Amino acid sequence: MAPKLTAATLDALPQLLHGEPTVAMATLVAASGSSSKKVGAKMWVGASGRILGGVTIGGCVDARVIEAADDVVKSGKRTLVGISLDDDEAWEIGLTCGGQVEVLVEPLTPDGDADPILSAYGDVCESMARDDAAVVATTLDGTGARLVVNPSGEVVSGTLGDPALDEAARTIARSVVASGGSRTETIVTPVGDRRVYFERHAPPTTLVIVGAGQVAMSLSRFARDLEMRSVIVDGRPRYATSDRFPDADEIHVGMPSEIVARLDPGRNVAVVLVSHDYKYELPVLRATLRSPVGYLGMLGSRKRGAAVRQMLADEGFTAEELARVHTPIGLPIGAATPAEIAVSILGEVIATRSGKSTGT
Amino acid sequence: MTTYRDVVLEHFRHPRNRRTLPAADVSIEGANPLCGDRVRVDLRIVGGQIAEIGFTADACILCVAAASLLTEHVHGMSIAEAGALADDVALQLVGGTVPAPRRKCATLPVDTVRRGIARFIESAR
Repeated sequence: MAPKLTAATLDALPQLLHGEPTVAMATLVAASGSSSKKVGAKMWVGASGRILGGVTIGGCVDARVIEAADDVVKSGKRTLVGISLDDDEAWEIGLTCGGQVEVLVEPLTPDGDADPILSAYGDVCESMARDDAAVVATTLDGTGARLVVNPSGEVVSGTLGDPALDEAARTIARSVVASGGSRTETIVTPVGDRRVYFERHAPPTTLVIVGAGQVAMSLSRFARDLEMRSVIVDGRPRYATSDRFPDADEIHVGMPSEIVARLDPGRNVAVVLVSHDYKYELPVLRATLRSPVGYLGMLGSRKRGAAVRQMLADEGFTAEELARVHTPIGLPIGAATPAEIAVSILGEVIATRSGKSTGT
Repeated sequence: MTTYRDVVLEHFRHPRNRRTLPAADVSIEGANPLCGDRVRVDLRIVGGQIAEIGFTADACILCVAAASLLTEHVHGMSIAEAGALADDVALQLVGGTVPAPRRKCATLPVDTVRRGIARFIESAR
């Protein structure tokens, strides 16, 4: 699969590109007749010939983009490359059918003081450090100016060079944040139609795993591949260890409800209760049910889940609050082993994050 | 007739003094590291007596019930007396014979109170 510009890549971008006087950044900005999920894929081509990333899974499209990137490095001028694919070519690069893809190729100077692209991504990094999403807008036919917008539609930095265009872009950016994917839109202005690419950036999902058992070990391992952070929480010091959780970003031993409350779970956090023990489930649910946590799931049968919900209802939690708990946790894929259960849980976390109904 | 089970379930479902004390003189956590029971006890001590006590627990039914019963028992007690409470007091409070493997669940709260008082006395010196 073609790589997207992840938070990790974004953070490391200046280091990755250091030493290159000029780099061409290629972005798949539109894909008609094919899966729009590929939009946002990136490739960087340095003056030295170095290549990082890819706009597709390889093949003829990337080859054509590399040629265009070499020209951009030499000329210093951005270009929009349109590539038509027949069905066979489309299959080769992982798209479902033929059509047209468009790749924006732009020059940037990694070691320069004021590269507008890197400056915009710096603002995105700052937003994500505050657990906020951000959208970077740029016209496909313009000079490369960037407008960075926060989830409320407020301008973080930059301009597209026209107040009316900025205003329209801010409105679209809000829907881009909610939609979960980058896309190109046409904006009608008094001086003609302008095509603007909206690139969505969101902080990585943090998986707070309560209960450091076998399922938790699989969750933490798979989370790394999914570019999620994993945080292990348990009251048992012999379970929550770095030996058992080498991929965990954080390991906390103590009162789980206190630890989870301290972590202050927000909308980019998934709290996953896999302790299978009410001693942690009830206090952690009390601590999270009224938080803005993005996902809340609890391992256990439907009957057990109903019993826990009832106890919390007796304490005054509303039906709406209790409906936030996904139990039984995970997608119904017939999971039996700890690793399979972890896959089903992560599938549900991803589905919830993407706004897809999971039915639990 | 009220049974051991009834008492424990009642205090688990409706724990007394389950709260944190913002102005606590001592806030101390106790743990049974193998089973994972965790209890926090907050004490406000005035004139050598336990003026206020609160607890929170990520713990099993027996441990939560024992903490609830204990907080009622020691409220108003002198710290000298509370600091010398034996484990057997906690076992008696839950109202029945606690199976040997579960004794630590029932005695974790009293052990935590004892350590809290010891810490308070130490810090007051």
